[in-house]
Amino acid sequence: MNLNLRMPEKITVYAILTALSTLLGVPLLYVFSIALASDETTYLAKFTLIPQEFHFENFIRVFSLDLNFTRFFMNSFTLVFFAIIGQLVSSSMVAYGFARLRAPGKDILFMILLSTMMIPGEVTMIPSFILFRYFGWINTLLPLIVPNFFTNAFNVFLLRQFIARIPTEMDEAAQIDGLGYFGIYTRIIIPMIKPALIAIAINTFTWNWGWFMGPLIYINDFEKAPLALGVQILSATSSSGQVPPWNLVMVGSLLLTLPMLVTYFFGQKYMDEFGVIGGSAAIK
Amino acid sequence: MNMRKREALWFYIMVSPWAIGFLVFTLGPMVYSAYLSLTNWDLFNPPQFVGFQNYIDLFTKDKIFWKAVGNTFYYGLTSMVLGMVSALWLANLLNKPLPGMRVYRTLLYIPATVPVLASSLLFIRLLAPDAGLVNQFLALFGIDGPPWLLSPVWVKPALILMSLWGVGAGTTLLLAGMKGIPMEFYEAAALDGANSRQQFWHITLPMLSPVIFFNLVMGLIGSLQTFTEVYIVTGGGPNNASKMIVPYLFDNAFRWYKMGYASAIAWVLFGIALLFTVLVFRSSSLWVYYESEVKK
Repeated sequence: MNLNLRMPEKITVYAILTALSTLLGVPLLYVFSIALASDETTYLAKFTLIPQEFHFENFIRVFSLDLNFTRFFMNSFTLVFFAIIGQLVSSSMVAYGFARLRAPGKDILFMILLSTMMIPGEVTMIPSFILFRYFGWINTLLPLIVPNFFTNAFNVFLLRQFIARIPTEMDEAAQIDGLGYFGIYTRIIIPMIKPALIAIAINTFTWNWGWFMGPLIYINDFEKAPLALGVQILSATSSSGQVPPWNLVMVGSLLLTLPMLVTYFFGQKYMDEFGVIGGSAAIK
Repeated sequence: MNMRKREALWFYIMVSPWAIGFLVFTLGPMVYSAYLSLTNWDLFNPPQFVGFQNYIDLFTKDKIFWKAVGNTFYYGLTSMVLGMVSALWLANLLNKPLPGMRVYRTLLYIPATVPVLASSLLFIRLLAPDAGLVNQFLALFGIDGPPWLLSPVWVKPALILMSLWGVGAGTTLLLAGMKGIPMEFYEAAALDGANSRQQFWHITLPMLSPVIFFNLVMGLIGSLQTFTEVYIVTGGGPNNASKMIVPYLFDNAFRWYKMGYASAIAWVLFGIALLFTVLVFRSSSLWVYYESEVKK
């Protein structure tokens, strides 16, 4: 970063950034254009970059299809809500344990926790499927929700870094005042790590909202599908000659994207902190 | 109960969600998966023990698997290198002390908020051979665009192009890292007459290397796991030219119900991920700069 940029340099920076923002924005404009197209245009695939038609009713039509978009939304909300609750409760508990409490075997357990971050989820995918099938959880959201109540190593790792920055004097003072370990966790630690918990909530939301592979494996019943799977079902055609209803598919894609965008705008400042700590914490 | 024991007891209570989860959702399944990989099992009849036959088939007979491995590396390495270089370049631009940079940062990030499923569906339209926007645009310059997703040669570049659309995610992370570099370093360098290019190579890049390293490890594991893009956009075609490891694993497990064979694929994938992670970690001392406070 040069501190004093000269005029031509400034102009170049703005020109490059404007060009690239436009380039990356064009596909989004195309999504809107397709989403607003008529069924006839869709059938002929004569889409234009600049919207020529404005069939806003497409946004209402998706809710009256045979595929129940209202249900997809409800399923997605249920999934995301419980996933967030599960991650917040479990990861903060475990992180507090690892950051503050002493016990035999703690270091070994933490090493195991760190090493699980390197295991691709696919290794456990098939046995997990068999386990959940044995539980009778196929065609429910449970296989997607329940593991969140048993935390993930990444969240524990990040929260532990946050808790480690809180002075231990606070715990000691609380202990003198008669708080037990659980009291310290709920009254001292939780309030102090709120920004990190918000960041974890956002991360859990982002991960689960658009998640496709999990629902694809566990859910066959259209009524039980979260939105991402629902949109894919809408786009999948039964016969090869059939044209997917691209206009409605793009409406679905936009509805899938909108909550992500809103979350980004409101959560940006928390995620910034999360990103920096995540980046530097990983190497410690 | 004395203080020490009480504390230890609370430790075990607090970490129990993770410990139980580790046993039930990680260790148990891994052991079971290792066993399954030594069997043939169609999910309905009892598993048949076949020893290492699945691995032998995988390594000696299965051409599609090796094609999938090659494709995954091609796609993973190219998209990661291109993604990292462009993210670095963009983050460096956005880090300039100019007004309006926050707006650009947001604009560049927006595509990264689009879920992979949605961007996959979008790229089917964008890259359609005749009616697609990309080829319509190329036609304006008299260029006859390639058939992208229908061509064994162009299908992987098409997927790489798609991954680059989300470059804003990496950019934001690197930018956050750049903001953490003390200003004094740049001031001192400027006094010594270093220009922006020199400042980038001698301050920004070394100071940022831990963040780059972190993203590299995560990106590596992530790209080995590519699934949705392939499943939605190409289905692995044409002629398996875009088949990758996880979609192939998925086909074996949930389309053909070859649970044993799919488990063997999962273990080979694990081996590859482990190998790469170890390589990156081993090489990190050569090129990652650690501040003294970080080094333990």
